[in-house]
Amino acid sequence: MERILQLFANGVMAGAVLALPAIGFTTIFAVLRFANFAVAGHMAVGAFAGYVVNSWLGLPAWAAVLAAFVFAASIGVATDHVALRPLRGYRALTVAIASIALNLMVENALRFGFGNAPRNFAIPLMRDLSFGPIHIDPQQIENTIIAVVAMIILFLFLSLTTTGKAMRAVADNPALADSKGIDPDRMARIAVAIGMGLGGIGGMLIGLDASIDPLIGFRSILSVFAAAVVGGLGSVPGAVLGGLVIGLAEELSLLALPSTYKAAVGFLVILITLTLRPRGLLGPRAA
Amino acid sequence: MTKRPSLVITRRQAIAGASALAALPLVLPSVGFAQASEPIRLAGLVSLTGGGSPFGPSDRMAHQAVIDEVNAAGGILGRKIEYFAEDDETNPEAGVRAARKLIDVNKVSAIMSVFASAVATAVLPLCWENKVMMLAIAAADSIAMLPHQGYFVRTQPHTELQGREFANFAIKRGAKHFFVMMPQTPFTDSVMKGIKDLCGPKGIKVSTLVYDAKKTSLRSEVEEMMRATPDLLMIGGYQPDDIVLAKDVYRADYKGTSIGFAYGLTPQFIDGAGKEAAEGIYSIEPVPAAGSAAYARLKTMLKRDQLDTYVCQAYDHVNLAILSMAKAGQASGTAIRDTIRKITDDSGVKVDNAPDGVKAIADGKEINYQGASGPCRFDEHGNIIEVEFRLNQIRDGKIVVVKS
Repeated sequence: MERILQLFANGVMAGAVLALPAIGFTTIFAVLRFANFAVAGHMAVGAFAGYVVNSWLGLPAWAAVLAAFVFAASIGVATDHVALRPLRGYRALTVAIASIALNLMVENALRFGFGNAPRNFAIPLMRDLSFGPIHIDPQQIENTIIAVVAMIILFLFLSLTTTGKAMRAVADNPALADSKGIDPDRMARIAVAIGMGLGGIGGMLIGLDASIDPLIGFRSILSVFAAAVVGGLGSVPGAVLGGLVIGLAEELSLLALPSTYKAAVGFLVILITLTLRPRGLLGPRAA
Repeated sequence: MTKRPSLVITRRQAIAGASALAALPLVLPSVGFAQASEPIRLAGLVSLTGGGSPFGPSDRMAHQAVIDEVNAAGGILGRKIEYFAEDDETNPEAGVRAARKLIDVNKVSAIMSVFASAVATAVLPLCWENKVMMLAIAAADSIAMLPHQGYFVRTQPHTELQGREFANFAIKRGAKHFFVMMPQTPFTDSVMKGIKDLCGPKGIKVSTLVYDAKKTSLRSEVEEMMRATPDLLMIGGYQPDDIVLAKDVYRADYKGTSIGFAYGLTPQFIDGAGKEAAEGIYSIEPVPAAGSAAYARLKTMLKRDQLDTYVCQAYDHVNLAILSMAKAGQASGTAIRDTIRKITDDSGVKVDNAPDGVKAIADGKEINYQGASGPCRFDEHGNIIEVEFRLNQIRDGKIVVVKS
């Protein structure tokens, strides 16, 4: 029982961090209708921006998180404008493949600038806290809080602001939103900024737990993709739920399977979910 | 209406064909001359990114430095040597793509210094099918057992041997329970076997856990290790997963001793994991021949005070390939395969570099190449025969040799 509780706690915290880039992925999909795999590269951009602010400039973790969002969002909008926007008229698969190429370019630009060596944030490592039989790393708790705060801000933005409501309108029915005078280009830029920015925070949080290098997003993107698909592509609450489901499934699978099958578990969950609910758990048009 | 092709040869076509045939002997010698004057092509399939990236850039520099030196001395067999380097990304898919380019486009005779066992396993069939020699670092036992027809040698001791070194460490420290954590690799089983074979009869309990190296957190795996309460832990991955593992082990407040492969526990590992998490971890490393003339020469060439074993092996790979071709009088993968065991003759003149060796061969002498990584003698499977290990420990953020 203790083991199950420990794995459950690890799964929830891993899922919360995973949920941020998954929300980013799904937000872009909701508005632009293609799977943007360049989120992986922008996770790395966010991680390196946070690293520079924290380790080089000596600023605290909250400033690093802010920098991760701002840099990943800005670079995301710029790269989207140059590389993906001209392809908007093509099929979703074409743009998705182009996003893989863009991702490689972003990762290699980081490699050119920072090299391949892993880097560590200037934040001291702490021993685990014990809650009875459960051990939790204070950094994990901090990461979970940051992820939850970022999600709350996003939900408030989407629910309470005019721009957020306009974005939801575009995601729900682009033609109707267009007829109401909502600028689709502006909404696309905002969606990309939010998506890449959240990816950037996610990359930084993963880096706080492990270390950062240009491939930090690449290693996580399959789990991010799995979370977004399981939750229902295009659904922000779905991405949160998907992140938790994938995080929990991967950790709890250790009860029955060797650790090497962790990655496969994510895809097993996709298979089961899509068989039972083809549009994901909270997909926009789920019955 | 389209004109149908005719099978009848016209007089004009017959004259043109006969003229071409008559001119053939005039053209052929020049084709032969062109081949002879073409450079000899060698390649480094090195890890510039991924888990092997701490070593690939230096390996490439060593290759290039030796080839520049040989070319400056006039090349071999009257030809210059051209060097190609490709990044295998420490990833078999990328490695195969790069190897195909080197073999099919660049037409290289040898592929050198392949670091990761997964890459070597994937690329070696391409090598033997195309008669290209592979001189590798990759250590998984299974690679040498492939039907490589001799187109494979490696200078890194094979992994079961390395596993036995870890077992010896456990025995000497009087360990009671050795917990071995390794990623899924082609050498995982053989290392674990080497450890179990020696530790079992000594009454040391050995537990093993194979993890997914791509994961950004290994907390649950570390929790499993902590529940087993071992007094000795093996952090047995490449650099990126060693960082993740070491951090989680530190957070879990593990009190026992930790050890791993030196190729994973590098100075960059200390930077990535942080000094606290890295402190006290031991590593086992094949010893380069630090007292050899080749080692001193390589230090001068690369302008470094210390060399790791992998750059020494890369230096030896390129020297071995060049000297084998010079000895064979032919520039091909098959020539290297057939001659590589003939340039370490005990009765030969000792040489530590290609230009001196090429000169000695030209003078009709037998040679005995003495490498920077050690004596480069191989068994029938391509495994290095003579090798020694040293024990390092991370102390105050630095890697210190504890026992050599």
